[in-house]
Amino acid sequence: MLDAVRGEALKALDRAAPYGPDIDVREYLGLRVREPAKLEIGRVEGVGIDLRRARRTAMYMQVDGRVVESLSRLSGVEVTTVEDFIGNYPDIAKELLWRLIKPGQDKYTAIAALKGVGGYYVRVKRGVKVSEPIQTCLFMASEGLQAPHNLVILEEGAEATIVTGCTIMPEVFGLHAGITEFYVMEGAKLSYVMIHAWNRGTHVRPRSAALLEDGASMVMYYMNLSRVKTLQTYPKVILKGDGSKVYASSMVLGRGDSVVDVGTEAVMVGDAASELVSRFVVKDESRAWARARVSGVRGRGHIECKGLILSSRAALYSVPELGGTGRDVMLTHEASIGRIAEEEIAYLVSKGFSREEAEELIVRGFMNVEVRGLTGRMESYVKNVVRLMSRAAM
Amino acid sequence: MLKLELKEVVVSVKGGTVVRHADLRVAEGEVLYIIGPNGSGKTSLLRAVLGYPGYEVVSGRVLFDGEDLTDKPMEYRVRRGLAITHQIPPKISGVKVGDLLAEILRRRGSTSEFKGITEMLRIEHLLNRDLNRNFSGGELKRVEIALTMAQSPKLALIDEPDSGVDVESLRFVARGVKEILNRSPFKSIVIVTHTGLIAKYIPPTKVCVMKEGVLKECRLPDFLKKALSEGFG
Repeated sequence: MLDAVRGEALKALDRAAPYGPDIDVREYLGLRVREPAKLEIGRVEGVGIDLRRARRTAMYMQVDGRVVESLSRLSGVEVTTVEDFIGNYPDIAKELLWRLIKPGQDKYTAIAALKGVGGYYVRVKRGVKVSEPIQTCLFMASEGLQAPHNLVILEEGAEATIVTGCTIMPEVFGLHAGITEFYVMEGAKLSYVMIHAWNRGTHVRPRSAALLEDGASMVMYYMNLSRVKTLQTYPKVILKGDGSKVYASSMVLGRGDSVVDVGTEAVMVGDAASELVSRFVVKDESRAWARARVSGVRGRGHIECKGLILSSRAALYSVPELGGTGRDVMLTHEASIGRIAEEEIAYLVSKGFSREEAEELIVRGFMNVEVRGLTGRMESYVKNVVRLMSRAAM
Repeated sequence: MLKLELKEVVVSVKGGTVVRHADLRVAEGEVLYIIGPNGSGKTSLLRAVLGYPGYEVVSGRVLFDGEDLTDKPMEYRVRRGLAITHQIPPKISGVKVGDLLAEILRRRGSTSEFKGITEMLRIEHLLNRDLNRNFSGGELKRVEIALTMAQSPKLALIDEPDSGVDVESLRFVARGVKEILNRSPFKSIVIVTHTGLIAKYIPPTKVCVMKEGVLKECRLPDFLKKALSEGFG
């Protein structure tokens, strides 16, 4: 590791993130990489990873700190470990890694820089259009820290969908602090679907950032399917190029005593377009913060944050932020927090549904955001995940 | 044989009496119209018959197909074969018309009816739309009738199928109501109207007048024309 990265990280080990509950990361400093426990295929499939299909196309699988499989059978697509990438392309690695996310950003990037192992490198070469999703899975089978550093590069005119499933064994507690940097070059189109299924003892602090050049577009879906101890993430998309576009959709379910703080930030440098959409459903005693921020000097941005509170002990805060400089930017937002209307339940019961079924239909409808940038199997998959989330919310 | 019987029913909403007295008998093969001015308690009565939350039968009995439903919840009454077509149904974001219709049919094991129902009610263009959001008056009614048709109830309570509907839509609505009637094993239906326009397509066999929360008097079909032209008397 470069001394500069290490030095910056060391200085940030006690730097709390601006959002989310603060946890001590120093306990993870002394950890060694252990032999991973057995992979549980059912849990991997539960976060959208189809291993049989992935092995025929392109995939990356990491269990704890060990890379289990990484391959690409697709022409024009490279999938390797980030360590192999650094070995193969040291100059490019120096230029791209830790560029969009600083190792000293907060204590979680710091611990990832100091103790992180593995991570995928995905490169889709210029003009290559991949119809099958590239599947990646980060699985925690043992207690401790998982902090891969992922790098995704879509070269000029390339098109691809990446599905990342992150999950954990039920009895394993720890910290997941993955770093992901995306470079979406001129005219490239990236669809990125991230599905999380953690457990009640896990702290999760992913750090992601994307750079979009002229005419590039990115569609992001984030969905969390199960309980988590604490989760805080605020991916940042820098729309550097003119004509660049981002559509980010987060569907978040807060259950048990989870504390969840999820947002997306779009920074429009070029004449760009941003649309950030979120649907939060909270129940039990969970607390959640739905954040979104769009800022820029040119272009159009819109935020839509909607939340549903299903229990009298749950809490939800919606925090949309807009910031513009100059006369060439137009930003709007809409935010709402509510409960299921009794009138809607009664109506559906009058159509033959039980009260529970009616509530599930309404929650599913609430989470039923427009699926963009995905087709065929992936579109069906996202819709199915929404269905599972609605069921889990009941 | 009587299929629906209301005996001295009094209905209260939020503590206020909205139906002061209702006696009603619906026999097998009967197309019963309830007419009356706006605000006379017609919709409240239908909702109370279905057991809608907030519409409390404070006295009297509701008997359906030989069973006393007065104290039964709406879910039970719907399972027993009662259904309502709402005058003003709520908008539900994200719930798509097509999905809801398909789900109702799936539960009855009648998914093959989907195409026929959507074509009959001319709602194909609404299937991917959020339920009742930005619908015209005619579209609202056609979707409501389609959903009730999918339920295939023993007895449907149709609330104001002909209000706020253009002539073209009314034709499809009437066709749908007729189909609901045909599917009823009792060959009975209850229709609430204050315009009577639908009677051109589905003639009543009995006409009952509701005024100021009181429904007592039921007459022969000829009365409908007279009441609509001269007032509800």
